[in-house]
Amino acid sequence: MKLIINDEIKNLAVTTITSLLTTLEQPEKGIAVAVNQAIITRQNWDDFQLSENDQVTLFQAIAGG
Amino acid sequence: MSVTTLQSAFILPSDELVIADKTFSSRLFTGTGKFSDQKIMAAALIASQSQLVTMALKRIDLANQDDDILKPLIAAGMNLLPNTSGARDAKEAVYAAQLAREALQTNWIKLEIHPDPKYLLPDPIETLKATEQLARDGFHVLPYIHADPVLCKRLEAVGTAAVMPLGAPIGSNKGILTAEFLEIIIEQSTVPVIVDAGIGAPSHAALAMEMGADAVLVNTAIAVAKDPVAMSQAFALAVQAGRQAYLAGLGSQAQTAVASSPLTAFLDL
Repeated sequence: MKLIINDEIKNLAVTTITSLLTTLEQPEKGIAVAVNQAIITRQNWDDFQLSENDQVTLFQAIAGG
Repeated sequence: MSVTTLQSAFILPSDELVIADKTFSSRLFTGTGKFSDQKIMAAALIASQSQLVTMALKRIDLANQDDDILKPLIAAGMNLLPNTSGARDAKEAVYAAQLAREALQTNWIKLEIHPDPKYLLPDPIETLKATEQLARDGFHVLPYIHADPVLCKRLEAVGTAAVMPLGAPIGSNKGILTAEFLEIIIEQSTVPVIVDAGIGAPSHAALAMEMGADAVLVNTAIAVAKDPVAMSQAFALAVQAGRQAYLAGLGSQAQTAVASSPLTAFLDL
Protein backbone atom coordinates (compact mmCIF):
# COMPACT_ATOMS: atom_id res chain seq x y z
CA MET A 1 0.00 0.00 0.00
CA LYS A 2 1.26 3.46 -0.90
CA LEU A 3 1.58 5.73 2.14
CA ILE A 4 3.11 9.18 2.52
CA ILE A 5 5.06 9.08 5.76
CA ASN A 6 6.54 12.38 6.92
CA ASP A 7 6.56 13.51 3.27
CA GLU A 8 8.30 10.33 2.05
CA ILE A 9 6.39 8.01 -0.27
CA LYS A 10 6.65 4.41 0.88
CA ASN A 11 5.12 1.15 -0.29
CA LEU A 12 4.53 -0.98 2.76
CA ALA A 13 2.53 -4.11 3.48
CA VAL A 14 0.88 -2.71 6.60
CA THR A 15 -2.72 -1.98 7.55
CA THR A 16 -2.52 -0.75 11.16
CA ILE A 17 -0.48 1.88 12.98
CA THR A 18 1.05 -0.78 15.20
CA SER A 19 2.31 -2.78 12.21
CA LEU A 20 3.52 0.42 10.55
CA LEU A 21 5.63 1.35 13.59
CA THR A 22 7.05 -2.17 13.76
CA THR A 23 7.94 -2.10 10.05
CA LEU A 24 9.61 1.32 10.43
CA GLU A 25 11.43 0.10 13.55
CA GLN A 26 9.98 2.92 15.62
CA PRO A 27 9.64 2.59 19.38
CA GLU A 28 6.04 2.89 20.54
CA LYS A 29 7.01 5.04 23.51
CA GLY A 30 7.34 8.81 23.10
CA ILE A 31 5.60 8.85 19.72
CA ALA A 32 2.46 10.50 18.39
CA VAL A 33 0.81 9.59 15.12
CA ALA A 34 -1.50 11.58 12.88
CA VAL A 35 -3.19 10.30 9.73
CA ASN A 36 -4.31 13.02 7.33
CA GLN A 37 -3.70 15.50 10.18
CA ALA A 38 -6.07 13.71 12.59
CA ILE A 39 -4.33 12.39 15.70
CA ILE A 40 -4.80 8.65 16.23
CA THR A 41 -4.76 7.85 19.93
CA ARG A 42 -2.67 4.99 21.19
CA GLN A 43 -5.63 2.77 22.07
CA ASN A 44 -6.72 2.86 18.40
CA TRP A 45 -3.36 1.91 16.91
CA ASP A 46 -4.43 -1.72 16.46
CA ASP A 47 -7.87 -0.98 15.05
CA PHE A 48 -7.40 2.04 12.81
CA GLN A 49 -7.19 0.89 9.19
CA LEU A 50 -4.75 2.73 6.96
CA SER A 51 -5.86 3.45 3.40
CA GLU A 52 -4.04 3.94 0.11
CA ASN A 53 -2.40 7.40 -0.14
CA ASP A 54 -2.90 8.21 3.54
CA GLN A 55 -0.58 10.91 4.82
CA VAL A 56 0.96 9.63 8.03
CA THR A 57 2.87 12.00 10.28
CA LEU A 58 5.02 10.66 13.09
CA PHE A 59 6.17 12.91 15.94
CA GLN A 60 8.62 12.31 18.76
CA ALA A 61 9.85 14.12 21.86
CA ILE A 62 13.18 15.89 21.45
CA ALA A 63 15.29 18.16 23.61
CA GLY A 64 13.84 21.64 24.14
CA GLY A 65 13.44 24.41 26.67
CA MET B 1 24.84 25.58 66.82
CA SER B 2 25.50 21.89 66.35
CA VAL B 3 26.25 20.40 62.95
CA THR B 4 22.85 18.73 62.84
CA THR B 5 21.03 21.97 63.54
CA LEU B 6 23.11 23.77 60.98
CA GLN B 7 22.26 21.23 58.31
CA SER B 8 18.59 21.15 59.15
CA ALA B 9 18.50 24.91 58.78
CA PHE B 10 18.99 24.41 55.06
CA ILE B 11 16.19 21.94 54.62
CA LEU B 12 12.63 23.11 54.41
CA PRO B 13 10.69 19.85 54.40
CA SER B 14 7.25 21.39 54.43
CA ASP B 15 7.97 23.97 51.76
CA GLU B 16 6.52 22.12 48.83
CA LEU B 17 5.14 23.60 45.67
CA VAL B 18 1.83 22.32 44.38
CA ILE B 19 0.88 22.86 40.75
CA ALA B 20 -2.30 21.22 39.48
CA ASP B 21 -2.05 17.53 40.50
CA LYS B 22 1.68 17.42 41.34
CA THR B 23 3.82 18.34 44.33
CA PHE B 24 7.42 19.49 43.96
CA SER B 25 10.15 19.73 46.59
CA SER B 26 12.53 21.37 44.10
CA ARG B 27 11.64 24.81 42.79
CA LEU B 28 14.16 24.63 39.98
CA PHE B 29 12.59 23.49 36.74
CA THR B 30 14.91 22.77 33.84
CA GLY B 31 14.92 22.48 30.09
CA THR B 32 16.58 19.82 27.97
CA GLY B 33 17.62 21.99 25.00
CA LYS B 34 21.07 23.06 23.81
CA PHE B 35 23.20 20.51 25.71
CA SER B 36 26.25 19.33 23.80
CA ASP B 37 25.27 15.70 24.31
CA GLN B 38 22.61 13.54 25.94
CA LYS B 39 24.86 12.14 28.67
CA ILE B 40 25.84 15.58 29.91
CA MET B 41 22.20 16.65 29.76
CA ALA B 42 21.06 13.73 31.90
CA ALA B 43 23.92 14.21 34.38
CA ALA B 44 23.26 17.95 34.71
CA LEU B 45 19.52 17.57 35.15
CA ILE B 46 19.95 14.84 37.75
CA ALA B 47 22.49 17.02 39.60
CA SER B 48 20.03 19.93 39.55
CA GLN B 49 17.50 17.77 41.47
CA SER B 50 14.89 19.22 39.18
CA GLN B 51 11.59 17.34 39.19
CA LEU B 52 10.07 18.93 36.11
CA VAL B 53 11.87 19.06 32.77
CA THR B 54 10.71 20.53 29.51
CA MET B 55 11.01 19.06 26.06
CA ALA B 56 9.82 19.78 22.56
CA LEU B 57 8.12 17.74 19.87
CA LYS B 58 9.08 17.37 16.24
CA ARG B 59 8.36 15.31 13.18
CA ILE B 60 10.51 12.22 13.09
CA ASP B 61 13.28 12.24 10.52
CA LEU B 62 13.10 8.63 9.33
CA ALA B 63 16.55 8.83 7.76
CA ASN B 64 18.34 10.36 10.74
CA GLN B 65 16.76 9.09 13.90
CA ASP B 66 17.29 11.18 17.06
CA ASP B 67 18.29 9.45 20.27
CA ASP B 68 15.71 8.65 22.88
CA ILE B 69 16.06 11.47 25.40
CA LEU B 70 13.24 10.27 27.63
CA LYS B 71 14.71 7.15 29.16
CA PRO B 72 17.32 8.65 31.55
CA LEU B 73 14.91 11.40 32.62
CA ILE B 74 12.05 9.04 33.39
CA ALA B 75 14.47 6.70 35.17
CA ALA B 76 15.51 9.64 37.38
CA GLY B 77 11.86 10.15 38.35
CA MET B 78 11.40 13.47 36.57
CA ASN B 79 8.06 14.75 35.38
CA LEU B 80 7.96 15.68 31.73
CA LEU B 81 6.65 19.02 30.58
CA PRO B 82 6.28 19.05 26.79
CA ASN B 83 6.15 22.45 25.12
CA THR B 84 4.40 23.72 22.02
CA SER B 85 7.48 25.43 20.65
CA GLY B 86 7.13 26.04 16.93
CA ALA B 87 3.44 26.90 17.17
CA ARG B 88 2.63 30.29 15.64
CA ASP B 89 -0.99 30.60 16.73
CA ALA B 90 -3.55 29.09 19.09
CA LYS B 91 -4.72 26.50 16.58
CA GLU B 92 -1.21 25.12 16.01
CA ALA B 93 -0.50 25.19 19.74
CA VAL B 94 -3.62 23.19 20.56
CA TYR B 95 -2.64 20.62 17.94
CA ALA B 96 0.90 20.45 19.32
CA ALA B 97 -0.48 20.00 22.84
CA GLN B 98 -2.69 17.14 21.71
CA LEU B 99 0.29 15.47 19.99
CA ALA B 100 2.41 15.95 23.10
CA ARG B 101 -0.29 14.43 25.29
CA GLU B 102 -0.38 11.45 22.99
CA ALA B 103 3.40 11.07 22.76
CA LEU B 104 4.24 11.54 26.42
CA GLN B 105 0.96 10.49 28.04
CA THR B 106 0.74 13.65 30.11
CA ASN B 107 -1.87 16.39 30.18
CA TRP B 108 0.70 18.95 31.34
CA ILE B 109 1.68 21.42 28.64
CA LYS B 110 4.05 24.37 28.52
CA LEU B 111 2.23 26.64 26.12
CA GLU B 112 4.64 28.61 23.93
CA ILE B 113 3.38 30.67 21.03
CA HIS B 114 6.09 32.91 19.67
CA PRO B 115 5.65 33.70 15.99
CA ASP B 116 8.70 35.98 15.77
CA PRO B 117 11.97 33.98 15.66
CA LYS B 118 14.20 36.98 16.39
CA TYR B 119 13.03 37.78 19.91
CA LEU B 120 10.78 34.74 20.53
CA LEU B 121 8.38 36.94 22.43
CA PRO B 122 5.07 35.26 23.25
CA ASP B 123 1.86 36.27 21.49
CA PRO B 124 -0.52 37.18 24.34
CA ILE B 125 -3.76 37.01 22.37
CA GLU B 126 -3.13 33.57 20.87
CA THR B 127 -1.78 32.36 24.23
CA LEU B 128 -4.96 33.39 26.04
CA LYS B 129 -7.12 31.71 23.38
CA ALA B 130 -5.13 28.48 23.50
CA THR B 131 -5.06 28.41 27.31
CA GLU B 132 -8.82 28.70 27.45
CA GLN B 133 -9.35 25.85 25.01
CA LEU B 134 -6.69 23.56 26.46
CA ALA B 135 -7.88 24.08 30.05
CA ARG B 136 -11.39 23.21 28.88
CA ASP B 137 -10.01 20.05 27.26
CA GLY B 138 -8.47 18.91 30.55
CA PHE B 139 -4.89 20.09 30.12
CA HIS B 140 -2.83 21.60 32.93
CA VAL B 141 -1.58 24.66 31.07
CA LEU B 142 1.62 26.53 31.96
CA PRO B 143 1.80 29.42 29.51
CA TYR B 144 5.00 31.25 28.65
CA ILE B 145 4.09 34.95 28.65
CA HIS B 146 5.47 38.43 28.89
CA ALA B 147 5.57 39.82 32.42
CA ASP B 148 2.11 41.29 31.99
CA PRO B 149 0.04 41.40 35.19
CA VAL B 150 -3.24 41.99 33.33
CA LEU B 151 -2.67 38.98 31.07
CA CYS B 152 -1.91 36.86 34.15
CA LYS B 153 -5.32 37.68 35.62
CA ARG B 154 -7.01 36.90 32.31
CA LEU B 155 -5.19 33.53 32.19
CA GLU B 156 -6.28 32.75 35.74
CA ALA B 157 -9.86 33.45 34.74
CA VAL B 158 -9.75 30.85 31.97
CA GLY B 159 -8.22 28.16 34.17
CA THR B 160 -4.44 28.29 33.77
CA ALA B 161 -2.50 26.01 36.14
CA ALA B 162 0.38 28.48 36.55
CA VAL B 163 1.91 31.44 34.74
CA MET B 164 5.42 31.61 33.31
CA PRO B 165 6.39 35.25 32.85
CA LEU B 166 9.75 35.97 31.24
CA GLY B 167 12.72 37.70 32.83
CA ALA B 168 14.27 38.48 29.43
CA PRO B 169 14.09 36.96 25.93
CA ILE B 170 14.64 33.18 25.70
CA GLY B 171 18.31 32.23 25.70
CA SER B 172 19.49 35.82 26.18
CA ASN B 173 20.99 35.23 29.68
CA LYS B 174 20.16 38.86 30.49
CA GLY B 175 18.50 38.16 33.83
CA ILE B 176 15.42 39.63 35.50
CA LEU B 177 14.79 42.71 33.37
CA THR B 178 11.07 42.63 34.16
CA ALA B 179 11.45 42.84 37.95
CA GLU B 180 8.93 45.63 38.57
CA PHE B 181 6.20 43.77 36.68
CA LEU B 182 7.07 40.38 38.14
CA GLU B 183 6.55 41.90 41.58
CA ILE B 184 3.03 42.95 40.62
CA ILE B 185 2.31 39.52 39.14
CA ILE B 186 3.59 37.74 42.25
CA GLU B 187 1.60 40.02 44.53
CA GLN B 188 -1.65 39.44 42.64
CA SER B 189 -1.42 35.86 41.46
CA THR B 190 -3.62 33.07 42.76
CA VAL B 191 -1.72 30.48 40.70
CA PRO B 192 1.99 29.61 40.95
CA VAL B 193 4.38 32.04 39.23
CA ILE B 194 7.33 30.42 37.48
CA VAL B 195 9.88 32.87 36.12
CA ASP B 196 10.98 31.53 32.76
CA ALA B 197 13.47 32.70 30.16
CA GLY B 198 16.44 35.01 30.39
CA ILE B 199 17.81 33.63 33.66
CA GLY B 200 21.51 33.53 32.85
CA ALA B 201 23.21 33.18 36.24
CA PRO B 202 22.42 31.67 39.64
CA SER B 203 22.15 35.22 41.06
CA HIS B 204 19.27 35.91 38.64
CA ALA B 205 17.48 32.79 39.86
CA ALA B 206 18.09 33.77 43.50
CA LEU B 207 16.69 37.24 42.81
CA ALA B 208 13.51 35.83 41.30
CA MET B 209 13.05 33.54 44.29
CA GLU B 210 13.77 36.35 46.78
CA MET B 211 11.03 38.33 45.08
CA GLY B 212 8.62 35.51 45.86
CA ALA B 213 8.46 33.59 42.61
CA ASP B 214 7.22 30.05 43.24
CA ALA B 215 9.82 28.50 40.91
CA VAL B 216 12.17 29.30 38.04
CA LEU B 217 12.82 27.52 34.78
CA VAL B 218 16.41 27.44 33.59
CA ASN B 219 17.75 25.89 30.42
CA THR B 220 20.34 27.79 28.39
CA ALA B 221 22.43 28.98 31.34
CA ILE B 222 22.99 25.39 32.47
CA ALA B 223 23.25 23.80 29.03
CA VAL B 224 25.88 26.18 27.64
CA ALA B 225 28.01 26.47 30.79
CA LYS B 226 31.56 25.18 30.57
CA ASP B 227 30.61 22.61 33.21
CA PRO B 228 26.84 22.05 33.03
CA VAL B 229 26.78 19.62 35.98
CA ALA B 230 28.50 22.09 38.33
CA MET B 231 26.34 24.92 37.01
CA SER B 232 23.13 23.00 37.63
CA GLN B 233 24.21 22.49 41.24
CA ALA B 234 24.98 26.20 41.52
CA PHE B 235 21.46 26.95 40.31
CA ALA B 236 19.95 24.48 42.76
CA LEU B 237 21.76 26.22 45.64
CA ALA B 238 20.77 29.68 44.41
CA VAL B 239 17.11 28.70 44.15
CA GLN B 240 17.18 27.27 47.67
CA ALA B 241 18.96 30.36 49.02
CA GLY B 242 16.54 32.72 47.31
CA ARG B 243 13.53 30.77 48.51
CA GLN B 244 14.79 30.63 52.08
CA ALA B 245 15.53 34.37 52.03
CA TYR B 246 12.01 35.06 50.80
CA LEU B 247 10.52 32.92 53.58
CA ALA B 248 12.83 34.52 56.15
CA GLY B 249 11.57 37.97 55.16
CA LEU B 250 13.98 40.48 53.66
CA GLY B 251 14.63 43.74 55.46
CA SER B 252 13.26 46.88 53.89
CA GLN B 253 15.41 49.28 51.86
CA ALA B 254 16.08 52.83 52.97
CA GLN B 255 17.23 55.96 51.17
CA THR B 256 19.64 56.97 53.95
CA ALA B 257 21.98 55.02 56.22
CA VAL B 258 20.53 53.16 59.18
CA ALA B 259 23.23 52.39 61.73
CA SER B 260 23.96 48.78 62.54
CA SER B 261 26.03 49.72 65.61
CA PRO B 262 24.88 51.92 68.47
CA LEU B 263 25.95 55.52 67.91
CA THR B 264 27.22 56.05 71.43
CA ALA B 265 29.39 59.04 72.01
CA PHE B 266 32.22 57.31 73.86
CA LEU B 267 34.86 58.82 71.54
CA ASP B 268 33.75 62.34 72.46
CA LEU B 269 36.24 62.85 75.24
